[in-house]
Amino acid sequence: MSIAVRFENIVKEFGTVRVLHGVSFELPRGGVYGLLGENGAGKSTLMKILSGYEQPTEGAVFVDGEARVFNNSRAAEAAGIVLIHQEFNLAEDLTIAQNIFLGHEKKRGWWLDDAAMRTETARVLAQVGLDKNPDMPVRHLIVAEKQLVEIAKALARNARLLIMDEPTASLTPGETEALFRLMGRLHEAGVTIVYISHKLDEVERTTNEVIVMRDGRFVTRRPTAELTRREMANLMVGRELSDLYPPKDPSPAPSSAGAMPRLKVVGMTVPGWAQDVGFEVMPGEILGFAGLVGAGRTELFEGLLGLRPHSVERIELDGHEIRIRNPREAVAQGLTYLSEDRKGKGLHVGFGLRENLTLMALEHYAKPWLRPGDEMRALQTAVKDFGIRTGSLDIRASSLSGGNQQKLALAKVLHPKPKVIVLDEPTRGVDVGAKRDIYFLIQRLAREGHGVIVVSSELMELVGLCHRVAVMRAGRLEAMVDAQHLTEEELISHATGTKN
Amino acid sequence: MNIKSIIFGVAASVVALGAPAAAFAQNKVNLGVAIPAATHSFTAGIVWWANAAKAELEKEHKDLKVTIKTAANAGEQANQLQDLVTANKINSLVIFPFESAALTKPVAQVKNKGVYVTVVDRGLTDPSAQDAYISGDNTAFGKVPAEYIAKALNGKGNIVAMRGIATTLDNERMDAFNSVMKDYPDIKLLDAKYANWNRDDAFKVMQDYLTRFKQIDAVWAADDDMAVGVLKAIEQAKRDDIKIVFGGAGSKGMIKTLIDGKDSRIQANVSYSPKFIYEAIKLTAEARLKGEALPATTIVPSVLITKDNAKDFYFPDSPF
Amino acid sequence: MVEGRLERARSFGSWLHGVGPVVGLALLCVAGTLLNSDFASLDNAMNVLTRTAFIGIIAVGMCFVIISGGIDLSVGSMAALIAGLVILLMNTMAGWMDQPILVVAIGMAFSVVLGAAFGLAHGLLITRGRIEPFIVTLGTLGIFRAYLTYFSNGGAITLDDSLSDVYSPVYYTSLAGVPIPVWVFLLVAIAGGVILNRTAFGRYVQAIGSNEQVARYAAVDVDKIKVLTYALLGACVGIATLLYVPRLGSSSPTTGLLWELEAIAAVIVGGTALKGGAGSIAGTVVGAILLSVISNILNLTSIISVYLNAAVQGFVIITVAFLQRRK
Repeated sequence: MSIAVRFENIVKEFGTVRVLHGVSFELPRGGVYGLLGENGAGKSTLMKILSGYEQPTEGAVFVDGEARVFNNSRAAEAAGIVLIHQEFNLAEDLTIAQNIFLGHEKKRGWWLDDAAMRTETARVLAQVGLDKNPDMPVRHLIVAEKQLVEIAKALARNARLLIMDEPTASLTPGETEALFRLMGRLHEAGVTIVYISHKLDEVERTTNEVIVMRDGRFVTRRPTAELTRREMANLMVGRELSDLYPPKDPSPAPSSAGAMPRLKVVGMTVPGWAQDVGFEVMPGEILGFAGLVGAGRTELFEGLLGLRPHSVERIELDGHEIRIRNPREAVAQGLTYLSEDRKGKGLHVGFGLRENLTLMALEHYAKPWLRPGDEMRALQTAVKDFGIRTGSLDIRASSLSGGNQQKLALAKVLHPKPKVIVLDEPTRGVDVGAKRDIYFLIQRLAREGHGVIVVSSELMELVGLCHRVAVMRAGRLEAMVDAQHLTEEELISHATGTKN
Repeated sequence: MNIKSIIFGVAASVVALGAPAAAFAQNKVNLGVAIPAATHSFTAGIVWWANAAKAELEKEHKDLKVTIKTAANAGEQANQLQDLVTANKINSLVIFPFESAALTKPVAQVKNKGVYVTVVDRGLTDPSAQDAYISGDNTAFGKVPAEYIAKALNGKGNIVAMRGIATTLDNERMDAFNSVMKDYPDIKLLDAKYANWNRDDAFKVMQDYLTRFKQIDAVWAADDDMAVGVLKAIEQAKRDDIKIVFGGAGSKGMIKTLIDGKDSRIQANVSYSPKFIYEAIKLTAEARLKGEALPATTIVPSVLITKDNAKDFYFPDSPF
Repeated sequence: MVEGRLERARSFGSWLHGVGPVVGLALLCVAGTLLNSDFASLDNAMNVLTRTAFIGIIAVGMCFVIISGGIDLSVGSMAALIAGLVILLMNTMAGWMDQPILVVAIGMAFSVVLGAAFGLAHGLLITRGRIEPFIVTLGTLGIFRAYLTYFSNGGAITLDDSLSDVYSPVYYTSLAGVPIPVWVFLLVAIAGGVILNRTAFGRYVQAIGSNEQVARYAAVDVDKIKVLTYALLGACVGIATLLYVPRLGSSSPTTGLLWELEAIAAVIVGGTALKGGAGSIAGTVVGAILLSVISNILNLTSIISVYLNAAVQGFVIITVAFLQRRK
């Protein structure tokens, strides 16, 4: 039931811009292929061509030896090729069954055959191991469950070649494990899988073979077993990538040694999400927050910023008690927050770079009239300081790649010159090169004396970057792990509550 | 000659001719009145006069109860008819229908329940749905100003006209105006645009007429509200070629201007008073109290108002 | 390189997008002149601009509300009620004091204050009360007009003659050949443009309309800014009303009917997205002028049946919207 695919000299142009320069390679049947490349390497475009969302300007796609042109995703799905998008394509208010059959409804005469669709949905849900009622609206599902619904949808369409684009971007370790087990079962059942991810450890674990693309060209293919992660990263970037994380500075003296914390929070409760949480961060310290999805990390900090109803015993900044009722007061006191949801809460993607950069510190530019010249100079400085790669300064944020958008978002929350910054998933959806830039930037912030809080689901990142890591579980602060004990295993055991 | 005398004249004669023996002395009459809401000076006048009739008649007759409902559209009015029958238990109805066609069926249902129905102003499409019909005289409303203007201009000159909102009633007035003007080939009707019986729209339309036509002798504004806008536009343009501005319906402001002789362009008006709702309620109530019927059709004529008879049409307490 | 080319392609697109209404207006003016040479006269131009002033001033305020992602359906009724209350106040005051100029000045100030107060009430109901702006202003649309009808007994509220003589120059006088309402319109538009593009408030308005969550997370006081946009619109309605009152010296239940739709149409025809985020005051001004030019041309000619006037307006609006549609 598996299928094989061969790309022959695929060229793709958008207007005058060529994003694929004659890509040729083969995907033999039944394999699990890791497709690697930095953002903008052309992986996603190539996969969109394979799955019918885009058509090649030149060249051809051969499926089982036969040249095929898919004019739309339905045609590709009919041939058994299904792409699961990085951002889900689910209608939130429809039920699981309705989503799975959206556009492919089963009918009996003129009427929808709901019973048959429900039965089939139950079957594919069982296959992916999701124990939910087919009639449940998708909006009630958590992110990981939505991911499973997407895969179930592909199975319901008889997928024989499954393309997964960053499937674990918003999954917790446990959920990721479950996904890998499912991929193993699909592989055994003969489904060809293309796996696109920036997480090289996952690529290492799940795939048989790695295919690397760079700047719209095929670079190389190697059996996964022959490569180290380091080598993979070097192949993607095309140059020697020195160590991903900056060397750790020694931990600053703790408050128990008489030092003054930058930020001290006592007895913070966000109803439904966080219960009586307290912590402190020292000047120059990078404090991590680990936990499973739903552990209440993001909500804790949204509460701290006054974005959610909350109660707190005491907040101290540099020893002075402060009150924060809304993000405006937080900024005024010297506390800013970078949201995990870049497009939804972090950046105005439809705005220019300049307008995004200065939004949180606009009063510095309004005297009383805004001075676009001053703003432009600030942007030039920020582009240099934060390494934002862009051809022109006069573009919309949406034109930047994910990594550069994230750097812009960082520049934005740092623009009001805060004393403490909270960075929620600072490297989500960002390629290796940009990740490294961001890690070094975080270190620089700490060295400048900021208190830095990093919330992340990537345990590697927390281990590599932080001085201490707070682990949350079910809304409570489960443990505070210090530098000597900082390992991934330690963090997972606290996060899942399996620590003896 | 004023409205009252005409109505009473007609009514009295019909009652005298066709009256069934006035055997039932005083019947109990529960009268419903359904009229449009006060969204325009004219309809405001309707509401005011209906309330005036209620106050006066209920004081005079112990056996009479009047319930007034005002509606903002035809659908609402149809619902009110049902309420009047089921909740208020009326046995007589005076209705100023919002639209003829849309309300014919609802009114017919009311009549089928044994309610005596008097329709005012806008006739129903099926006359068998009503017992009596009392209306204003839209033909005269167009004819009277046409004749007046033609005479005042000595059968020669340029005129412009305003129209209200595209309705049968507006068409009747315009047709009557045109048919008179046919006999005066030297009078040129330059244009007739809709100004929605609205002061602001009339102001704009008149401004543009003044830009477009260098010589205008008379304006048929066709409504006193529109005449207000027309006069302001003429003042702004400082034009003195316009000798006559003829409004219509006899609002108290215009009648006052006429009585005081404040504006040389306002020399005449044509009556179309909202007071006919008062007459209709009074006639219906008094006839039903005696158990009598009204004539099938009563037309309240529109007559020329000049300085001589203006006092009879001046009601300073009415909003119109 | 690549980005530069993309940028150029897009800036051409946005240029075309920006000039759509201007092209539409220019074509209409050519058509108007061909149909009636008086169209191109200075007097006619001033007539059109003067009568655009009311809708135009309201549209400038509406532009802020729409960019912030809101809507106000009540402006027509609000103008009518403000006009009525201002006239009642001035008539009453004229009985107490013998200085008609002072009375008129107080009346004019009252008009703006009242408008801002109504707008403030809208803003508070929408932000504190968490009610959709569509519903709040649909409600007040009815409330304002009903109260005017009540105060006027359904008829007209008319300004006393003595006051009218003092007040009417505000509408009918010209400065340097340009009528006062046009000057006021110009000033309001310039102030609107400066506030939208050169103040923090204007930037916040755009940020909220573009993505309210992002703005909230970026420490923008979303509620306060929203309330201010409605108050600003209310003040604009007040300014429009203080120019309107001296024109006819009266307010009636038909005053300001459908102004809300004209003002919203002017904003949208001028290139602002109804969903908010971005927009332009200059476009709004052009949009407002375009709308009144259409009816002006129709009044100046007889080639199109009067029954089809509304259809012509509809066709032009759709055509201009097509010219400046977003890709």
